[in-house]
Amino acid sequence: MAMSALRREGRRLAPLISANPTNVLRSSLAPSEQAFLGVRFASTQEVQNRMRSVQNIQKITKAMKMVAASKLRAVQSRTENSRGIWQPFTALLGDTPGIDVKKNVIVTITSDRGLCGGMNSKAVKLSRALYKLNAGPDKESKYVVVGEKAKAQLVRDSKKDIEICITELQKNPLNYTQISVLADDILKNVEYDALRIVYNKFQSVVSSVPSVATVLSPEVVEREAEAGGGKLGDLDSYEIEGGETKSEVLQNLSEFQFSCTMFNAILENACSEQGARMAAMDGASRNAGDMLDRLTLAYNRSLSLSLSLSHTHTHTHTFARTHKDMHMH
Amino acid sequence: MSSGAVPFWRSAGMTYITYSNICANLVRNCLKEPHKSKVLAREKVHFAVSKWVDGKPQKATIRSDTPEA
Repeated sequence: MAMSALRREGRRLAPLISANPTNVLRSSLAPSEQAFLGVRFASTQEVQNRMRSVQNIQKITKAMKMVAASKLRAVQSRTENSRGIWQPFTALLGDTPGIDVKKNVIVTITSDRGLCGGMNSKAVKLSRALYKLNAGPDKESKYVVVGEKAKAQLVRDSKKDIEICITELQKNPLNYTQISVLADDILKNVEYDALRIVYNKFQSVVSSVPSVATVLSPEVVEREAEAGGGKLGDLDSYEIEGGETKSEVLQNLSEFQFSCTMFNAILENACSEQGARMAAMDGASRNAGDMLDRLTLAYNRSLSLSLSLSHTHTHTHTFARTHKDMHMH
Repeated sequence: MSSGAVPFWRSAGMTYITYSNICANLVRNCLKEPHKSKVLAREKVHFAVSKWVDGKPQKATIRSDTPEA
């Protein structure tokens, strides 16, 4: 402390002692040497730089919010329309998230990109909880991962259980053909008794609910139908037309149910992603605005302070002061 | 349509999803012109799949009906 005070005093005296004050002033622009005149200059400069970078970040977050908003508009109506595609299945087969089967496949749906709040972590957390719930002797659970974000999180602790990983879904606008090809790929590559699809269900721009949809294999449906109880017990009251047997019909039905449920789940998730990103970017630009206000205040205060200080301290050598004020502006 | 115990498309190794997709595509091709090209342009497939074996990703295959730009 004492040393720095001494140094400061020395520097203040420097222009007085020096034979040629203009030289000293010029060298005071160099940041390391002759710092007294440069100190306040440097700090306001720093604040100015901060302000500029905060302003740039604010511009970026605002732009991202706009992009998310327009993407959300495009996907929201399609999401809401796609809800009708799984409702008949639930009416027919019921929803059985608590069913206890041997081979579980957890399909975790997340986004490829980040900056959309906690929705991806929520989906991963729910998947892990499902994994633990369905763990047990002679039972096994596997993950099918959709989206980069779940992959990044699940690789850390459960990479042994990842079966398939699917990314780059949203290069084109989402459509049913694409999702059904994907569903087909999943069905052909995993063995399952129950598929548990984890996704974020869109509620509003600021909220999405992590949800599970369960698709049972035809064998399990048949078993449960025979055991009776719930919606599945009523399945025998339906007549089957055509030459196909019941197990064939059930197999077709469960395959089709999976692709339809996936279609809705992926749309819901895309919609939640854009909504969450919009909310996150809105918050970020508001924070940047607050920060900018504070920095502007600090900048103006230090500017006026240094101006008044330079009046009281160095009024003896007017020459130096005028030079310094020139640098300030 | 179905021959014997198993429908022909399932014995060819298709799932119901593939079968229904082929049928849907046939129907789309039957549409009249302004609608036809619009509908066909909408149904684009593109995604990357990689299988994992023993905790390691295998090489990703890209399922796409549009050639790489």
